[in-house]
Amino acid sequence: MDRRSFLVGGVAGAATLALAGCSGSLPKVVAKPAVFGKGATGTVQVWCRSATQAGLTSAVAGFNRANPELQVQLTPVPDAQYVTKLATAIRGGTPPDVVDIDDINSQLFIFRDAFADLTEVVQDLDYVDAISPGHLRLLEYRGRYYGLPYLADNSQLFVNTELFERAGLDVQESTKDLSTLLDAAKAIRKTGDDVYGWSISGNAAGIIGFVTQPHVWATGVDMMSGEVGSQRADIVGNEALERMLEFYRQLWRDGVLSKATYSDAGTTWGADFRAGKVGIFPTSYGATVPAATKAMRAKMQTVLIPSWDGKRSFFDGGDNMCIPNGAANPSGGWAFMQYANGLRQQQALPDGGYFPTRSDAATPEYRKRFPLASGPLDDIEKGYAPRTLAYNLLNNQPSSPYFAMFREAVFGSGSAAAMKTAQSDYQRILDQVQA
Amino acid sequence: MSTISTRRPAGRTGVGRPTVGRGPGGGPARPRNSLTHPPRTGAVLVAPAILFVAVFVLVPLVFALYISFTNWPLIGSYRFIGLQNYLTLFQDPTFVHAILYTLLYTAIVTLPILALGYFLAVLVRARRRGSTVLRTVFFLPYVVGLTTLSFMLVLEAQPNSGAVNLVLRWLGITDGSTAWLVNGPLATVLICVLVVWAVSGLTMVLLMSAMQGVPDEVYESAQLEGASWWQTERLITIPMIRSTIALSVIISVIGSLLAFNQFYILTQGGPGTETTTIVNAIYNRGFVNLQLGAATAQSIALVVVIAAVTVVQFWALREKD
Repeated sequence: MDRRSFLVGGVAGAATLALAGCSGSLPKVVAKPAVFGKGATGTVQVWCRSATQAGLTSAVAGFNRANPELQVQLTPVPDAQYVTKLATAIRGGTPPDVVDIDDINSQLFIFRDAFADLTEVVQDLDYVDAISPGHLRLLEYRGRYYGLPYLADNSQLFVNTELFERAGLDVQESTKDLSTLLDAAKAIRKTGDDVYGWSISGNAAGIIGFVTQPHVWATGVDMMSGEVGSQRADIVGNEALERMLEFYRQLWRDGVLSKATYSDAGTTWGADFRAGKVGIFPTSYGATVPAATKAMRAKMQTVLIPSWDGKRSFFDGGDNMCIPNGAANPSGGWAFMQYANGLRQQQALPDGGYFPTRSDAATPEYRKRFPLASGPLDDIEKGYAPRTLAYNLLNNQPSSPYFAMFREAVFGSGSAAAMKTAQSDYQRILDQVQA
Repeated sequence: MSTISTRRPAGRTGVGRPTVGRGPGGGPARPRNSLTHPPRTGAVLVAPAILFVAVFVLVPLVFALYISFTNWPLIGSYRFIGLQNYLTLFQDPTFVHAILYTLLYTAIVTLPILALGYFLAVLVRARRRGSTVLRTVFFLPYVVGLTTLSFMLVLEAQPNSGAVNLVLRWLGITDGSTAWLVNGPLATVLICVLVVWAVSGLTMVLLMSAMQGVPDEVYESAQLEGASWWQTERLITIPMIRSTIALSVIISVIGSLLAFNQFYILTQGGPGTETTTIVNAIYNRGFVNLQLGAATAQSIALVVVIAAVTVVQFWALREKD
């Protein structure tokens, strides 16, 4: 072999090895109720989002104390890098045993066969009927379940009852649909120069998607239709969406929203509401309650988010736990997942700003301890989040079409043109992702 | 012509042939081996460097080229799709918009960076008291870096609270509530000002070094001839530092075509895709859309375009005889 052949062969061989290493599929995890999760020993590697690290840290500590033969090591991963890092680990053949993943991203991996089919062990759980159906739906593909919900991050309307009383309003009556909400917000605005009827971070894509879409979903329609992998945009002609956009446009035009709304990127999300200066605030429990004073908490009340026609919904955000195919200790991973979903661990989640994903967690003791944390649990079937491969692209990015549509409709030229543009942008992104 | 033999290790054959002799056509052949070292010494010495380049540059480049011919997703299996990623490059309106926006951005900032850099170089080129301090002050933004400056500007551009708005209100130009980063044109203006301020320090250093290389006698002659300052700059300084000016412009243009950090931090390409640069678009395609195949094809196209632009610039700004 001469030198040239050696060099060419070396480069080709290295490339072949690299390609082979990158293209192999990992061995599938087999999960049978009789043995899976039982008698596991060793170490379980768990990845979690940085945002949910605090709650899981205490769960891991409790599990490790109770299971000296099976120890969990928790690795927090920054939210923005989670998908990339997990995909890289899977492609590299070294995935963790359990991933605590943003539920909206679950389908990205499930659709591509990267997570273990846990249908049988999930259906074998004695509390399976109490599990949040919205979260389970994000784990389902072709009738099979690929994980277990862990925590919920739900959007609701938080109201300041003191301002409602001052404006002579009844909370339930005033929040039953978009029309009554608009009237209530206007009435509250009149109670003081520095008091606003409504608050939203108008320049934060994630927040806008989180708190405004349930107004649409409550009617039973989404902004896209069809099965994952072949979804179509459903924007133009979407009455519930148009009414929601017009509602927000009216809030802006009537001065019910503060001027800062236009550029508010969410860095001080909820500060105005916690200061008692806002009547109605669509948000999450974690962004509102933990940082509020005891006096302010006493003034708060929550209702689910209504549609124009009086139905209600909320965003089923949060985390799901999944076991990647190729995990080294999947049985140990399932043992930990069951522990994290135990009633005691679930009932402690509001301490970290999140909700349980089990409706049976809302016991009298729980309600007494967390009076503002049971609304979604009482109507758990009303929770929803879209099952798609493109949620981040469609909603969470600053360049997302939903965000652009919202801003154009509310602060710009109105909903008609904004929805028309969003229709084509939604479809283009769906076509790209599903190609 | 004499023939020189190299030293040959004892007992070895087939090496150490005459290095200078007749070529195939009867002309002189090139010397092939060192006169003082065994012929493989050079190869051994450069082998680590060649290995590093091969492993960390050539193999990844070949691999990237391969990926660009596939539908390589970040998650899951892939398949070979030939030239499809390249053929559909310009069917992606976001990418097309990003190209146009990046060209606009490059056109806006290139000349001011050069002009300001030149002006600063003129200020500090003389070896007089205070020049060193001024050089440091002018170069400091470049040392701090665009990333850090961008994070600072995120805060300073906030309506009603950021320094930018407070200063403008104090000057009576605005009411201080301008939302710079949620308006495409305003964000572009702000980022361009930031970049010109931050990057012109490098241009200053490059040009100053070149200016200091111009012989004093030339300026003295011009002075004796009664040349004005502007004539001196136009007819002496600029022609004599032409190659350095060319280098500065090329560095500036390449930097602008590859702009990413400041846009990612300040606007994330928004509002909408108004301030999305080419690299932003590639990043989004790869790590948000999770389509590495298409993103790699876009990257390779960008490399080719930058190479072409650079060649054109070299040609346009070459030294003229």
